[in-house]
Amino acid sequence: MSAVYLWLCERAGIDKIWETLFARKVPHAKGPAAWLYTLGSATLMIFTIQFITGALLAMSYAPSPDHAYDSVRFIDDHVLLGRLVHGLHHWGATFMVVLTALHMMRTYFMGAYKYPRELTWMVGVGLFLLVLGFSFTGYLLPWDQKAYWATVVGGNIAGQTPVFGPYISKIRLGGEDMGAATLTRFYAIHVLVLPALIAGAIGVHLFLVIWNGISETPKRAGKQVAP
Amino acid sequence: MNWHEEYRKKYKELKEKGVPFFPDVVLLDTIAACLVFALLVYLAAFHPPHLEGLADPTDTNYTPRPEWYFLFLFQALKFFPGSMEAVAAIILPGALLGVLFLVPFLDRGPERHPFDRPLWTGLGIFGLCVYAGLTWAASKSPLANPAEEKRPDVIAGKRLYAQLSCAYCHQIKNEGGRVGPALDRLSDATTDEWLSKHLRDPQAGTPGSRMPKMNLLDDEVSALTAYIRSYNPNDPFTPAAPKLFAENCSACHRIRGEGGDLAPDLSEIGAMRDKAHIQKYIQDPAQFNPDSTMPAYKGQLKDHEIEDLSRYLARQRRR
Amino acid sequence: MSCCEGGSPQPETPEAIGRRAFLSRAAAVLGGLIGAVLAGVGLGYFISPALRKKVGSWVDLGRAGSFKPGAPVLVEYTQRKRDSWITSESRSSAWVVTENGKDFTAFDPRCTHLGCPFRWHAEEKKFLCPCHTASFDINGKVLGGPPPRPLDRYETKLENGQLLILPKKQEHA
Repeated sequence: MSAVYLWLCERAGIDKIWETLFARKVPHAKGPAAWLYTLGSATLMIFTIQFITGALLAMSYAPSPDHAYDSVRFIDDHVLLGRLVHGLHHWGATFMVVLTALHMMRTYFMGAYKYPRELTWMVGVGLFLLVLGFSFTGYLLPWDQKAYWATVVGGNIAGQTPVFGPYISKIRLGGEDMGAATLTRFYAIHVLVLPALIAGAIGVHLFLVIWNGISETPKRAGKQVAP
Repeated sequence: MNWHEEYRKKYKELKEKGVPFFPDVVLLDTIAACLVFALLVYLAAFHPPHLEGLADPTDTNYTPRPEWYFLFLFQALKFFPGSMEAVAAIILPGALLGVLFLVPFLDRGPERHPFDRPLWTGLGIFGLCVYAGLTWAASKSPLANPAEEKRPDVIAGKRLYAQLSCAYCHQIKNEGGRVGPALDRLSDATTDEWLSKHLRDPQAGTPGSRMPKMNLLDDEVSALTAYIRSYNPNDPFTPAAPKLFAENCSACHRIRGEGGDLAPDLSEIGAMRDKAHIQKYIQDPAQFNPDSTMPAYKGQLKDHEIEDLSRYLARQRRR
Repeated sequence: MSCCEGGSPQPETPEAIGRRAFLSRAAAVLGGLIGAVLAGVGLGYFISPALRKKVGSWVDLGRAGSFKPGAPVLVEYTQRKRDSWITSESRSSAWVVTENGKDFTAFDPRCTHLGCPFRWHAEEKKFLCPCHTASFDINGKVLGGPPPRPLDRYETKLENGQLLILPKKQEHA
């Protein structure tokens, strides 16, 4: 055990990594406020679950209007634990939105976006947008009535954009009307484009959190500097 | 910004007096994660996602509703006339996001406590209130076409009916060919067993039948049977049901000319709604149509009476 | 929050070390719990194809009386098949053998050696496979050549004078 550990320390510096990531000291948040700091990590956990369940669902999902609906039914009715995995991914999507929003509210009301954490906040807003993007693209994939028509309405809204509206609409749908090209487009964005973007953004966000240290619980101090 | 350095210095001191991230903070994180995870598993296991029918681009009656967290946008659009829709749909949300993104550069002082930043705290609370208000208002708005929950086998049967081109010979709701019998007015003697046998091998039970044998799989047979059955409910109602109708409903509704004309004619209600829907509607009309003046009968009539009445009404179809 | 007090800058006392160990273990147990549930669910889902039983569907091959005793025939049939979420119609065939017109045997039309289609040779009263000169008797027993086992059979049954078979891929270790 310790031989392996030493071997890894020498070659990969895992002791240093552990020290930087986990043994670091953080300001002591007292009382119930300490729980407000758990929202970010809870979001990260749900993201991990979305990643795992998403990979599993993709194994039995066919992104084509002919088969998408039947393949989702197949997952629900014929794959062992399929309904549960589908349920976890479905509710996980809602949890992502809610937890990200709560985490943002915590940051906003504690003024934690201020110096030196402006960049962390801005990347965070970007993460929130990516989560909404996941929600919007994922909603279409079951290809049932609800999915189809909600996406039609969403598209009509985007089509309202001044000047560029019609172009945005066609790019989004992959053509004039919603159909096979829309579904593959949404699927590719949902499982390839957004995950790549969000993985990078999460990396930067976490790096900044550790680099600047987690913000302290604010005290009443008027205009004074009081971390 | 000369307070920056002071902040750095004081933060460093605070950090040195702080607690190690692991295990002190990590434990809180895992406890919170466990609670969130337990709730997630509970919802996934006991409230699995509901799949509606297959997307039908030709359906003009479907009223789409967005996910609940987008409802506010749906509601906000109602406040803007058509020509201004772009403002509500794109420009306003875009501007709000821009402000949110740039907040660190708009609110730059050293003060952090919410009470020391009344403007930004107030704006935040105001925004949340507007969001909550819009979401609440949208959730109260009536649905023009309540989504009818159908059984999955009926949905599957409907698709097979289309795939196998049954309508080439058969009619449902006056649509389709006239080679075979209409399937929405079968005789009451047609049982599920007879139907499934006939679907498997038409000639076996009806020698000389011109219907082709389709080598259907077992679940396809039961799906088609369920679909055909949905147009031919055969739950028997008791002789009390027509009396219940006469006593409780006929002041406003009529069936084949008997009854009042304050409310819709129910002579063909069975062709439009199934028994489960009728039953829920009688129990509490407001859940489907908040503007309905029909009273809720749950509590007024006994449950078995409502059930009986629903069966009776589900049988009201044109013969 | 008793669990997050402490962390004083003084050198660590034995109690502080013990407390730290306890917190670490608690965090590991809770984290492990989430991981175990997730891993269990994910693994079950992932390996489900290995646990799924293949269910066939009976196919009607026609009137039992139409088969001549002692003369195997290759019967072609159309069957609706399910490939996960796709249902398709496919044509396949089976050799039907009866010696007395009452008991029927249906053979998978592929040789048990490497899956070539075999034929019935009426003069020799043998099933012959052209690929590697395998031969089977009318009951599917191997008479010569490389096949590792007798011909694969499908389940059969008679219903209202119709012959039904249950075509199913045989599983061999």
